[in-house]
Amino acid sequence: MPTSKREKRKIKGGYFWNILWVDLDHGEAKPLEFDEAFALRYIGGRGFGAKLVWDQLQKGTIDPLGPENLLVISPGPLAGLYLPASGKTSFISISPETGIYGDSSMGGSFGAELRQAGFDALAISGKARSLSYLWIDNGEVRVVPNEKLKEKGSLESEGMIKEDLKDEHIKVATIGPAGEKRVRFACVTSDWGRNSGRTGIGAVMGSKNIKAIAVRGSKDLPVFDLPRLQKVSEVSFRSLRENKNFAFWQEQGLMSVIDYVNEAGVMPTYNFREGVFEHAKKINGYEMLSKYKIGDTSCFACPMACGNVCLVKEGKYRGTVVEGPEYETACMFGPNIGVQNFAAILKANQLCDELGIDTITTGNLIGVLMEAQETGLLSEKDLDGLNLKWGDEEAILDTVHRIAHRKGIGNILAEGSLGVIKQWPQLRPIISQVKGLEQSAYDARIAISMALGYATSDIGAHHARAWTIAKELEMGMDWPLEKKADLVIYHQTLRPLFDMLGVCRLPWIELGFNEHQYAEFYSAVTGIETTLDELLRRSNDLYDLTRAINMKFGISRKDDYPPDRVFNLAMTEGPHAGKILKREDYDAILDIYYQKRGWTKDGQVDKKKIAGFNDPLIST
Amino acid sequence: MSWKLAVVAERCSGCKICELVCSINRFGVNNPKKSAIRVMVVYPHPIIRMPIVCRQCKVAKCMENCPTGAITTKDGIYDIDSEKCISCQQCVTSCPFGAVFLHEEIETPFKCNLCNGKPRCVEACPKNALLFLPEHVLGQAQRMTSVLKYVHMKEVEYVEKGERKVLRYADIEKGKAED
Repeated sequence: MPTSKREKRKIKGGYFWNILWVDLDHGEAKPLEFDEAFALRYIGGRGFGAKLVWDQLQKGTIDPLGPENLLVISPGPLAGLYLPASGKTSFISISPETGIYGDSSMGGSFGAELRQAGFDALAISGKARSLSYLWIDNGEVRVVPNEKLKEKGSLESEGMIKEDLKDEHIKVATIGPAGEKRVRFACVTSDWGRNSGRTGIGAVMGSKNIKAIAVRGSKDLPVFDLPRLQKVSEVSFRSLRENKNFAFWQEQGLMSVIDYVNEAGVMPTYNFREGVFEHAKKINGYEMLSKYKIGDTSCFACPMACGNVCLVKEGKYRGTVVEGPEYETACMFGPNIGVQNFAAILKANQLCDELGIDTITTGNLIGVLMEAQETGLLSEKDLDGLNLKWGDEEAILDTVHRIAHRKGIGNILAEGSLGVIKQWPQLRPIISQVKGLEQSAYDARIAISMALGYATSDIGAHHARAWTIAKELEMGMDWPLEKKADLVIYHQTLRPLFDMLGVCRLPWIELGFNEHQYAEFYSAVTGIETTLDELLRRSNDLYDLTRAINMKFGISRKDDYPPDRVFNLAMTEGPHAGKILKREDYDAILDIYYQKRGWTKDGQVDKKKIAGFNDPLIST
Repeated sequence: MSWKLAVVAERCSGCKICELVCSINRFGVNNPKKSAIRVMVVYPHPIIRMPIVCRQCKVAKCMENCPTGAITTKDGIYDIDSEKCISCQQCVTSCPFGAVFLHEEIETPFKCNLCNGKPRCVEACPKNALLFLPEHVLGQAQRMTSVLKYVHMKEVEYVEKGERKVLRYADIEKGKAED
C-alpha cells in the first residue's frame, strides 16, 4: 500500500486494513485492502460481514450450502483490546437453516487471535477438495487436508489440531460431525465449548469441507491512543467490579436467569405451552452450584466470568464435563422438554457441543415431537421407533445422536423447522419459529415487544436482537405500543452495534454498564471523535442492509409475525394464565414499527436507501 | 522484606486481563503475546486455568544458567538486562515454570519484574486469583485450609442466647480423616 494513502486516512487505529479472502476453489488466499469509507460506515464485525454477503449476492443467487455462499468471520475493531468483554466475533453467511441472512456471534478468544494475526476479518468462498482445516499462522495461510478429522467431535478436533500443530496456545474453531453432514443448525465451537450456535453456520463450514480454522496471531493490535484507552478501561472495569451483582454474576452467570424467568412466568415449558416449570428448583443456578460447578470460565478480557464449568460426579452421567449450561440450553433441554434432572441437561449440552449442533433449536424441535406424540399429530410410524415422552432422558439423548448423524427420523429433524413442516405440515401450528429459526427460551405471548422483537429479528426468532421482555415486565404491560416499538428498535440498534465492534452485550444488559463508554472506546482506538448516537446511526443502517438482503429472498410483512402459539394458546398456570396476544394489537405495533423504521407497510426498505449499499467500498 | 506474587489457580477464569495490562505496562502495546504472565488452559477440558508467572526463586535457575550475567537480582526481584543478554534463551528453557517468555518482535527474553513493587496484574484481576503478599505470609492460607478441612469432620449444634450455632470438631475416636 502506498504510504500516502495511509497518511491520508482519518482513522488512525482499530484496523489492519486487511480482510483475508480465502478462495478454496482456486486454493488462493489473498489479503484484501478496503477503503476508509467502508470502515467508517460498516465499522466491523457483523457490519463487514453483511456488506460482503450483500456484494456476493449481487453476483447471483446463493445456495446456502453451495460453494458460492460466502462465510465471513469478523471480530470488529474493539475485539482483542483491553476493555470489558472484547472477545466476540461474528460468523456471517446466508443461513442453511432459514435460507436468508444469518449470523451468530461467538465468545472465547478466537476473534482476538484472528485480529492478532493481522486480519480485520476472514472471508471464505468455494469448497476444498477434501476435508481440511485452515491454518492461519500470522500472515501465512494454508489449507491443510486432514481426513483423520472426519466425524470427530468438535472438542476432540480442537485437541487433535493443537497436537498436530504442536501449540497449546493457538485458537481453533471447529465443527462436529453434524456440520460435516450439513445439519442445518450445526454450530461452530471454539475454546472447548464456546459456540457460534445459531443459523447453521457449522453446516456452511461443512459444505466447504472446512473442518476447522486454526489461528496463531502475535501482532500488536492497532490503537491510536493507548493511554486514553487504558484510562477509560480502568474506570469501566472498576464500575463493573463495584456493581452489587458482580459476585453473584461470577458465581451463577446466565444460570441465574432460570429463577427470574420462572418467577416471572415466562419460561418456555412443555414446548412453549406453559411459562412456569414446577421443578425449576431442581435445575436452577443453586442446584448447579451445590452439586456440579467446578470452575469459572471467561471469554477474552471479560471480568464477569459467566461461564460455568460443570462436572457430573455421580450417577449414570458420571464423568460428564462441559462448559455450561447457559440459560438457553438449560431451559430448552430442561423445562421445554420436561427434564428435571440437571445432570441430564449437562449430558445433552456436552453431546450437542461435541456433535456440533445448536442446543436451542435441538431442544425446541424435540419439544415439538414430544407434543406431537402426546396429541397424536404424529403416528408411531412417523416417529421411527422413538418413544418421546416428556422428560425421557434416554430418548432425548438418542434423538440428539440421530440428528447429528442424520439417522432415520434425525434426517428429517436435521433439516430444521422448515424441513420438518415440509415433511409434516400438520406440525406448523405447534412449532415456535420465525422465518425458519426456532424460538429461543423466552415466552412472547405476554410481552408484545418481545413478540415484535422475535418477529422482526433479521435472522429469525432469536432473543439476542431485542431482549425486551425484562423491561416490559418491569414497567408493567400497560404502556403505549409506540413506546414499545421504540424499545424494540433501540435494542435492535444497540445490540448489533456490539456485534459490529466485537464486544459482548452482557456487561450492559446484565450489569448496567454505561453504553456511552463504547463511543469513548471507539474514539480512543480509532482517533475519530464520536458519540454513541453517531455509532447507532451506522448500526441502524445495518438493520436496513440485512433487511435488504432478506428482501432478495422474498421476505416481507407476512414473515414478520411471531409464532402461532402467541396468538392462540394461553398458558394454564402462573401469573400470565389465560393471556394471549391479540392479532389486531400485533398488526398495530407492526405498522408503527415499520413507520418508525421508514419501511413500507409491507416491510420493504426504500429503493434509494438500498441503492446506497451498492457503493463499491472495496478497491480490489 | 520480600514480597511474592502468588497464584490461586482455582480462582482463575482465563480472561487474560492480566496479560493485557502486563503488555500495556511493560511494552506499551495491546498484545497479550508480549506479557510476562501467561494463562494456561489445559486440554482436554477447561478445568485448569493457571497463570504462569515468575516466582522470583531464591535459587534462580535462570540466573545460574545465564552465560553473560545478564540476569541480576535486586530486593529479591530478578530481571534481564537486555544490553548484556545475548538471547541464547537458556533462561527460557531452564526455568522450571516456563515463566521466561519470547516474542518474535522482541530481541531478548523477558520476565516479570513485579512492576517495581506494584504489580498491575494483581490490581486488574477480576477474580482475585493473583495475590501480592509478603513472603512470611506464604503458606498460611494453605495451612489454614488444611486445618479447616480437618475440623470440618464433625459438627454439633447448640443454642447460645437463643441463637442456633454449630461447633466443628475432630472426632478423635475415629483417628483418621474423612473426605
